[in-house]
Amino acid sequence: MKSRLAMAVDASTCIDCKACMSACKVANKVPENHWRNWIKSADLDVQPGKHGRLRFQPGNCMHCDKPTCVDACPTGATYKDETDGTVRIDRGICIGCGQCMSACPYGARYRHPELRVADKCDFCAERRAAGLEPACVSTCPTKTRTFGDLNDPKSELNRLLKANKSVRVVNARSNTDPNIYYLGNPGIEDWPVEARMPSAFEFWKNLAGPVVKLFVGLSAAGFGAMLIKQLIAPGDGTNQDDKEREKDE
Amino acid sequence: MGSEMINDSKGSISRRNFLKLSGAASIAAATAGSGLLDARPGSAAQETSPVFDSKYGVCDMCFNRCSLIARVRDGVVEKLDPNPKFLKSRGMLCARGNAGVRQLYDPDRLKYPLLRKGARGEGKWQRLTWPEALDYAAEKLTEIAEEYSRCGVVFMAGSDMQSTFIHRFAEVFGSYNTLSHESMCLIAGTRGFLDTFGEVPIPDMLYTKYVVMAGANRFESLVTPDSIDLMTAIKNGCKLVVLDPRYTKTAALSDEWYPIKPGTDMAVMLAFAHVLITEDLYDKEFVAEKCYGIEQLSEYVKPFTPEWAQEQSQIPAADIRRMAREMASHAPQAMIYPGRRSSNYENSTQIRRSYAIVNALLGNWDRPGGLTAARMVGLKSPSFDAPFYENNPDDRIDAGVAKLMFEEEGSFKIARDAIIKGEPYPVKGFFTYKTNPLQTAANRRKTMEMVEKLDFMCTVDITMSDTAWLADLVLPSQCALERSDPCSSQQGSSACACVVMRDAVAPPAFESKSMFWIVKELAGRMALGEYFDFTVEEYREQQLAELPGAMDVLLKDGVYYNPSKLYGVYEGRIFKTKSKKIELYNERYEQMGLDPVPVYRSPRDTGKGQFRLVVGRNAVITQSSSQNNSLLVQFQPDNDLWIHPQSAGELGIRHGDTVTVESKAGRQRIRARVTERTRPDTVYMHTGFGVLSKGLSNVRGKGACIAEVLEDYMDDISGNMAMHETIVKVSKEAA
Repeated sequence: MKSRLAMAVDASTCIDCKACMSACKVANKVPENHWRNWIKSADLDVQPGKHGRLRFQPGNCMHCDKPTCVDACPTGATYKDETDGTVRIDRGICIGCGQCMSACPYGARYRHPELRVADKCDFCAERRAAGLEPACVSTCPTKTRTFGDLNDPKSELNRLLKANKSVRVVNARSNTDPNIYYLGNPGIEDWPVEARMPSAFEFWKNLAGPVVKLFVGLSAAGFGAMLIKQLIAPGDGTNQDDKEREKDE
Repeated sequence: MGSEMINDSKGSISRRNFLKLSGAASIAAATAGSGLLDARPGSAAQETSPVFDSKYGVCDMCFNRCSLIARVRDGVVEKLDPNPKFLKSRGMLCARGNAGVRQLYDPDRLKYPLLRKGARGEGKWQRLTWPEALDYAAEKLTEIAEEYSRCGVVFMAGSDMQSTFIHRFAEVFGSYNTLSHESMCLIAGTRGFLDTFGEVPIPDMLYTKYVVMAGANRFESLVTPDSIDLMTAIKNGCKLVVLDPRYTKTAALSDEWYPIKPGTDMAVMLAFAHVLITEDLYDKEFVAEKCYGIEQLSEYVKPFTPEWAQEQSQIPAADIRRMAREMASHAPQAMIYPGRRSSNYENSTQIRRSYAIVNALLGNWDRPGGLTAARMVGLKSPSFDAPFYENNPDDRIDAGVAKLMFEEEGSFKIARDAIIKGEPYPVKGFFTYKTNPLQTAANRRKTMEMVEKLDFMCTVDITMSDTAWLADLVLPSQCALERSDPCSSQQGSSACACVVMRDAVAPPAFESKSMFWIVKELAGRMALGEYFDFTVEEYREQQLAELPGAMDVLLKDGVYYNPSKLYGVYEGRIFKTKSKKIELYNERYEQMGLDPVPVYRSPRDTGKGQFRLVVGRNAVITQSSSQNNSLLVQFQPDNDLWIHPQSAGELGIRHGDTVTVESKAGRQRIRARVTERTRPDTVYMHTGFGVLSKGLSNVRGKGACIAEVLEDYMDDISGNMAMHETIVKVSKEAA
């Protein structure tokens, strides 16, 4: 990899002001009531007197080195960009099946209701191409997030990671090797869920041979059919899958 | 950073090869490639390096005026970014600032002048052309001037870089009656500090080591640079103690939080003073040299022990005593945070004066990490000679009630009462710009009663606010990204003494016009054109006359700094008070019949089933001006009533129930949020919901209005509204 883009986050300085979420929404034209990033916190422990300071934990797609979303994608639309380490979505071949969404332990993905494709943080690829930092990074009042290249020894990111202990927030059963490094205490840590991989692929990927390929091919044909359904389905994002997911939330 | 390589077959190659085994999948991929890409902006095939035009602007989503950079593509503002050179904001743009693009392109924007046709609030309007609207306004203003007096028109403008032109227009039109939003906000605090230090200090948060924050919520209600610098200070070891009846995010981020009984802050301050003086912990050298009245104060605070303050505030005496000692040990890098909004209690000026006195005892004035003096920025105020009108009343409509009202801000509460009574003289015209008293002033019914007394109300705004909704004539103004404004000076302690300037980054929407253009046109119609015989550019030249080169810097950096001494400004200088010192004891107050030292009065008790209502906001709310923003509404779609589980339980109220909250002023229905984050005797609501206007499509029908429930108490000294004096009854709505 030429570069390995990553983020260091100092949760101790986040004030939960939502500037990062607002900035991301505008920069990336994220549709209403969907978000590419978030701020999490533990339940407030309302204790008068001396108390531990609450930590707010900002996050977004962690651009993992072992991305379960990439494994779950039936079309190859979701892939790890070997040039910079980001996990990207090729909208041209995404069929919006949603398998990547349940495969992500961090809930970093949503289905774009108009485009009917998966969507998530891309570290503001468009802004980076214009020489700008990701929107959430530059807008943050307390500069909680530091963005940079792990392959660049001189980066502020590497300086912070050398100077501080850092934690990566993961689910123990689905350690995806994420690329958000929380400096010091990240606050709440037990929220990532186990990646839910599509069952067909889980089963078949352990086998080999032409029969398997045939079955996988048929399975993929099923996804092709889903795509066609996607193309003719109404674009208001109210299909059954979305309704199911809203219930889960 | 590498450019993006997302259109080739890198990435999950194995999965793609898998798929190529399947004909259907290939077709699917091909279909996707040809059928969808064109319709998808930013899709892989179309992604090219974007070229933005980057233009400086100044945010207008709240009063902070943060310098920003607009990213403009094909004439469309796509994104607003912080200006990293603007140190007052520490190079940030908050959630509201980012949502500024939604304000610019808001479909609810007022599009053209509207004349009311039906009854007030009925929502029937007739579209006018600008010449028709301006002729009509000029005619009505002249009518009122002739039939009553020129002071028969009140001009009320919110915080805006063009509000100066309204004041100028009022002055040349001949009315002394100018009001601002500030008598619903901060003037009690301004009064209290001014009458102690002789000026309004700016807290040096960045270098402080110990902050007691009472009556402020700085991590939610953002003030630059205070909010940001407080976090930096905390990172550098500063201790934060929050006294607040609510467990705010500021409280959650503090080291200590005490759910103080509302209205008892002064008791705690007097106890701090008691400990500092009786334990000999105050800065004696500083006090001897710079302060007046330590003897009187020492005698006065003797009875105010921490134990006494505990009875009042319900904060443990041992903690009050310890806090005072800890402050003293960190002094002068320790402070009682002065705060901003102080429209809380009937004695808010004296409450804030008690904050100021403790700061003086800490000796933190004019020193790093304490309270710093305002610095000269060097911006000139272009002057003019207003015409003199005979037959005008002797004084303002709101004069003579509050003893120390600021004339440049006025008192909305007093003015409203006077207009309703028609005394001391009739006011029949009301002209507002970017302010929304129907939402922000306590007792909405009284505001509506006032409006009914008017012959002509003209409102200039960007959307159909509740105030516009009741007006006779509504004029669409440009939003901040569409206009060129005068320069504005900014102060931020160690962060800056600077100038910002605003130029249009987008063409004006629909038929919207700037306030400057509107008053200039009106003036022209009323034979007052000579007073507006200039352009905004020429006005700025006058402002910058003593700052050679500033304009070039503003154009290059978006901000101009005038370097000046920050600490030790008062070495060898007198204070602008009667005693020429910091006034622990205020003789001028004494002579005016006011308490020379802050005198504590217990807040009235809440009975059973009754609560003190407190109000406020968070980082995605600006009073009542941002709630309809299509982005911000996703963070804060409505408001609810915070009520403690114990109190809710006694009233049979469950989380999410609809309840009625009722006072002598009015009642509202609102959803209950049962939470331990408020005291059992205190309920809380966010500002700005429960709108009357049908022109605010995102927020119409959402939440409840504080102005409807709050009774209109007032700080006696400053004329500031007192928003936290209202006792409400809360009851569960019958199913």
